[in-house]
Order: sequence, then C-alpha cells, then structure tokens
Amino acid sequence: MTTESTTDSVQSRGKGLNVLLGLTLIGLMVALWIALSFATDAFMSERNISNLARQGSMIAILAIGETFVILTAGIDLSVGAVAGFTSVIVAILINADATVVGGVLTTLGMSTTGGLADTLLGIYDAFAVIATLGVGVCVGLFHAFGIVRMGLPPFIMTLATMQILRGAGFLTTQSTSIQILGGDNSAFNSFAAADFLGIPSLFWVVIIVGIPSYVLLHQTRWGRYIFAVGSNPEAARLSGVNTKGIIYLIYALCSMCAALVGIMLATRLHIGDASQAQGWELQAIASTVIGGTSLFGAVGSAYGPILGAFILATIANGANLLHMNAFWQYIITGILIILIVYFDGLKRAKR
Amino acid sequence: MSTSALKSAATPATEAAFDGPILELHKLEKRYTGTHALKPADLAFETGEIHAIVGENGAGKSTLIKLLTGVTPRTSGEIIWKGKATGLSTPHEAIELGINAVHQEVLMCPHLSVAANIFLGDEATSYGLLKHRDMVRAAQKILDDLGFVLPANAELSSLTIGQQQLIATARAATRGTQFLIFDEPTAYLTRKEAAQLFALIRRLKAQGVTIVYISHRLEEVFELADRVSVLRDGQLVGTRRTAETNEAELIGLMIARTLDQIYHKEHMAFGETLLETRALSGQGFHDISISVRAGEIVGLYGLIGAGRSEFVTSVYGRHPHKSGEILWEGKPVTIRRERDAMNLGIALSPESRRDQGLCLNLPVGLNINLPIYQRLTRYFTLDNGGEARAANQQISDLRIKTSGRGAQALSLSGGNQQKIVIAKWLNHGAKLFIFDEPTVGVDVGTKAEIYRLLAKLLANGAGIILISSYLPEVYELADTLHVFRNGGIVGSHPFKGGSHEAILTEAIGV
Repeated sequence: MTTESTTDSVQSRGKGLNVLLGLTLIGLMVALWIALSFATDAFMSERNISNLARQGSMIAILAIGETFVILTAGIDLSVGAVAGFTSVIVAILINADATVVGGVLTTLGMSTTGGLADTLLGIYDAFAVIATLGVGVCVGLFHAFGIVRMGLPPFIMTLATMQILRGAGFLTTQSTSIQILGGDNSAFNSFAAADFLGIPSLFWVVIIVGIPSYVLLHQTRWGRYIFAVGSNPEAARLSGVNTKGIIYLIYALCSMCAALVGIMLATRLHIGDASQAQGWELQAIASTVIGGTSLFGAVGSAYGPILGAFILATIANGANLLHMNAFWQYIITGILIILIVYFDGLKRAKR
Repeated sequence: MSTSALKSAATPATEAAFDGPILELHKLEKRYTGTHALKPADLAFETGEIHAIVGENGAGKSTLIKLLTGVTPRTSGEIIWKGKATGLSTPHEAIELGINAVHQEVLMCPHLSVAANIFLGDEATSYGLLKHRDMVRAAQKILDDLGFVLPANAELSSLTIGQQQLIATARAATRGTQFLIFDEPTAYLTRKEAAQLFALIRRLKAQGVTIVYISHRLEEVFELADRVSVLRDGQLVGTRRTAETNEAELIGLMIARTLDQIYHKEHMAFGETLLETRALSGQGFHDISISVRAGEIVGLYGLIGAGRSEFVTSVYGRHPHKSGEILWEGKPVTIRRERDAMNLGIALSPESRRDQGLCLNLPVGLNINLPIYQRLTRYFTLDNGGEARAANQQISDLRIKTSGRGAQALSLSGGNQQKIVIAKWLNHGAKLFIFDEPTVGVDVGTKAEIYRLLAKLLANGAGIILISSYLPEVYELADTLHVFRNGGIVGSHPFKGGSHEAILTEAIGV
C-alpha cells in the first residue's frame, strides 16, 4: 500500500515536469497575445486570429511529424521539400479530375454533367488527396529503407531526398507553378478559406492530426516503443521491440504529415509549386525543440510542438502587425530557441 | 607545457616530503535533496598506502570519490591536503593538487591514438604544432616501462576495454599524480590485464603514490591493500588493517548482518531438456553443443571475449549463426529474431546494463514493462492501471530501491538497475533464462538476493544459463559448468567438479 502511494506521487511529479513546460509555453503564448492586443488594434480582430490559426497550422503539422522522428534521435530535413513536391502532385491529380471522370462517363455513354458527374468528381478528388498522402508515405518508407538497410545517418538520407524532391518538383513543373483549375469555389480550392463551427478548417486539420498523434505517442505500446528506440535501440531490440519496424513507422508518419501540409498549401494558394515551403523544415524543427523535444531522443510530447509552432506563428504575425522588419522574426526565433532549451536543460540538471 | 609533459612522463610523484597523512577528512558530509549520501566521516589516508574502500552499492563510495575529485561540492566538513585545509571545489583544483581518478567506464577519446590520449590536454608542441612522433615515442616508453605490450600509435578504440583501462591508468600515472583513486578497475579486465594493473599499482605505491582502491572483490582487497575502510548507508563504519581482518568481518560490516552463505544453492530434480544446441557456430564462437534442462543452472565460464556472450545472443536471435542446430524441447527450431526466442520462452538479461539492458533516461516502469506492452494493450490503447500494477509488482517483489516507477532508470544504483533488467523478464515470464554477468558491479547484499531469485526460478521449473567471469560464482552455482576459450568449449564439469586452478587453466589455456 505504501509503495503504491509513493509511486503515484513520483509518477505525477514526473508528469508534472512535462505539464510545467507545457504551462510555461502556454503562458508565453498568452503573454504574447496580451502584449500584442494592447500594442496593436488589429491583433485581436477575428480576421487576424483566424489568419494566425491558418499560418500556424501548417508548421504545427510538420512539427508533429518531425517530433516522431526526433524522439528516436533521428532528424528529417526533407519535410519542406516533401510539402513543396506533394503540392505539385496534388495539383496535377486534381487538375486531371474533369478529364478522368469525363473520360469514364463518355466511355460509358453517360452525361458528363449533372449529379452523378459531381459525385464522381468529389470521389476522384478525395482519391487524389489520399494518393498524395500515399506519395508522402512512400517517401518516408524510402527514408527508413536508407537508414535501416543502407545504414545511412538520418541527416544524410533526408538531406539527399530534400535535394532530389526539389529537383523532381521543378522538373515536373518546368520551374513554374501549376494553377489548380475549378475556380475559387471548387471544393478543393475553397477548403483552406472555409470555417467550421467558427474555427478555420486548417486548424481543424491540426486537431484531426494532433489527437491521434497524442494517443499514439502517449497511450499505445507503439508510443512506448518510439521512446525506447530513442533512448536505447539495443535494449529495445533485446526486449523484443521490432526496432526497424518503428523506424519505418515514424519516417512514414513524418513524411505523411509533410504531404498533408503540401495539400493544405495547394488548397490555400490554389497552385502546386515545387518552390513552396522553403526552409519550413527548420521552422518545424525549431517548433519541436521549443516544444520540449530533445534532439538526443526519448524526451518530448505530442502537444509541445503544436504550442511551439503557434508561438512562432504569433511572433511572425506580431512582427508583421507592428510593421517590424520581417527579418527580426528570425532573430527572435533564434534567441527563443537558445533561452528555452537552456532553461529546460537547467531544470533537468537540477533533478 | 610544451616539453615538460614528455619529461615528467613516467616519473610521477617525485616530491612529497610531507610526512603526515597526505589527505585527511574531518566531518566530511554530503547531502542531496532527500538523501544523506555521506554522513560526517573522519578518515586519514597515510602517504604511500593502498587504501581500499568497500561497501554495497549506494553506500556512498561514489559520493566520496566525487568529493575527493572535486566533481561535487561538499555540504560541510573539511578536506585537509598535506596538513592544509583545501577547497577542492573543482576537478581542475584536484588535478592541480595531484589527485586523480581512474573510472570503471573509460572516459577517453576512442578515435584518437593511444599516445594522443595519454597526452590529451597536455600535448607536446613546438611553435604551436603538435610533435606527433615525439609523443608517440614518449608514450611507447611509458607503456614499455609499465610492462604493457601495447602499441602507442594504435587507435584507442582498437583496444579491448581492459587495455583501455590500463591506458587510462598509465595516463593518470604520468601526470604527477600523488593520490590516485581506482573505481572498480577490474570489473572488465581479464586476469592477465588485472595482474598488469596490480603490478602497476604496486609500482606507483613504491614511488610514494597514495592509492585509493574501490572494489566489490574482497580477495583483491586482501591481495593489494594495506588498509580497508567500510561504508554502509553513507556511514563510515570502520577502518581495518587488512592483515588484521578477514572477509567474514568485512562482509559483516558491509551489510550489518552475518551472511553465512552468499551463494544460495538448492539442488532441484532436473526435468526435460529445454534447449539443446548441436555444433552451433557463428561470429566469435564455434562448435558449441550444450543442453539445458528444467531445474538446471548451466554455467558458462571464461575470460571476457571468449565467445560466451556471442553464443547466447545468437541463440536469442540477435546475431545469426552460420551452422549447427538449435533444438527447443526436442524439436529443431529456427530463431531469426529476438521475438522468436521470446515466443519460445527464452529470456536474455544481457551483459551490459548500460548498453544493452536499459533505456536509462526513461522511467523504471517503462523499462520493466517493455517486453510485455503487447499484453498491456486493450484494443488499441494501453491499460494504464495494468501498466502501473505490473511495474509496482516487480518493484516491490524484487525490492528495487527507487522513488517510484516514474523515476528515470539512471537515478538508481547499479545493483537496482540490474534488478530492473531481471524484473522485466520475470514480468514477461520464460522457461529458459539467460543471465549474462548478472552480478557485475552489484553489491554483496544484492548478489545474495539475485542468487536466491535464481533458485526460485529453478523451483518454478525454469532452466538457467549463467555466464560469469567470476569463477567462484559459477563454480558454486552451476550444475554443469562449461569453460570457454577462444570461441570454443575447452572443458565441462559437473557441480563443483575440478579445482579452481584446473578450471582457470582451461580458461586461460596455459
């Protein structure tokens, strides 16, 4: 009985540290919001808040994916390139919808307009989105293959695919952007601007990705395995964990998140453009680190990177509203990373 | 700094005219939040003596080393160096005084040469450029003088752990050290290397260096030390001349209870054969044919690197074998990966806790439950209550000293970390338990607990393969003892068959 009680108190203390970091980050974000709402009139406007939610969403999703990888002491430098490349892929697939559906209907001798055609177009577009996510999964599996089978360091492997995918994207588009057809009111093109229950649709995507990620990481055995692989892969392996399988899983998840961001970009900008999301991999890594993830692996959470991403988005948004030179946000981000990691390290050393 | 390093090399501790105790502790005390790591201790180290310190894990030995080497600040009390009170608050200050330590785990640069490691931080230069050849020559001279047959220009990582330890010792010896602390130096050494190390220690003593020697192996203490101090629960409980004491008294001081028998051995009736290997060969071992029955402890004895661990990890599916056959309960089986072995009912507690056994920066509970998470899963998510129960059960059954299952594994002492490695397999359950060096760096009390546990496993119908480089352990416990040398079995003995000398001779192969 006594063991029970001491155990529980310590358990909550251990969790308390994570919660503490989470609260610090929320506190920081709220402080920024309060300061900005006093400093500018525009900040608290509905338009700006929903704009902020949209801006932060894409980096947040990249950061969630990146967190899976960093928890195993790996890194994925390709997420920005994957997002750019998949925006091209989804644009090509969506633009082919009328041709494909029309072709099918004509062959069957049916009308290419009307209710049936619209339904088929909707199904086709959904298929286009899923296929694009599949492209992301394939990229991730290729990363894991290079790391597990060819023995390449994650840094090198993903640096290489970052180059390859940018190149492939530019070759496909002849270094221009692909306009997504169907006009501003098509289901695909209007998604990013839409709201649902008063919340921007892009932020809903964060929720839809965030909750399963939280469950996977903190409430399932695969989550435990991810932490174990990050802490000591040999010990995990000797305990019966399929460590290679875990590596395949996390890189596939990370690249799938990146492909999702590529799709979000495409619906927001109505173009597929291989040059998009340049440098976003670094913003994603920064969000992850600000969110309390250790680059040495096995330390981190699913919600930390989301908070990190929205703190960075708030800084960028605030700098813009205050008419600061845009380059200041880079400097602020850098200083923030140093401070947060330093204080986090201090706290851990004290224990 | 430039050439002085070369000159001072191999002539340590030339001064030392002071004739009182070289180092005295007055009411030295260390508290961490929540624990009283070292209770006020008074102790005087005589100049030029070899002073052993023994005690269970967590008794305060490492705290004492940290205080003496300036790694952690003391809470109160005085440290008196050659009659003068000293601050000793940084490692640098300790080295300046001539206090140095050789740690159990070698802390050097594996990709640099032996010579570069010996002179690290004290390189010989001319006009800012390194004098490579001079340093290699000087380092070679040091090694030759010390009687180590090792090349000075070899990359450090190409050496065995034991050899690296000898290099670390040589390095400390060349730095004008007057007070040298050894922390469990022989844990990873072969007998020959240990003999070389002892020779070096005696040589340093002859040169007037004071040695503090920390070890779990009492026979080493009697072989080497002039005096021995015993720590228990952070308290210095006594100092004896080794000539005037014996093992029984020291053990009595260490654990505060008379331990009539450390090696707890119960003879069981053997059941059916669990595992049989037929001429199994692979990387590092060849032609190994052994069998393990239920209720039996099969001991594998040999020097480090004799192929025992390679053999068992291969049986466990970690490394493939090249030829031969594995039979499980009489039927041929193929074990391709660790899961296959686990599903048959084989558990492996690996050689190195740190590298293979534990996820050190993760909670104790996660480590204990790692093999059974599949069982703790309901539908898709984890059963949190079951997770807590499984971990707490093992923590209380094995009396693992931890602040709770949420504590990081690295916050536990070595013996308790070892218990976690064992706990995770008790949790999982198995028919054949393989324990690879289960008592390295583990204190006497925990050792006895582990041996009792082995007996319990046997009583429940399991079989055990026990690997140890410590002969008394396998000698006293194994029902069948196989001696390994250079990857092959060179001798097999029934319980207590053959003398220590005979078995040792087989292992060394003289």
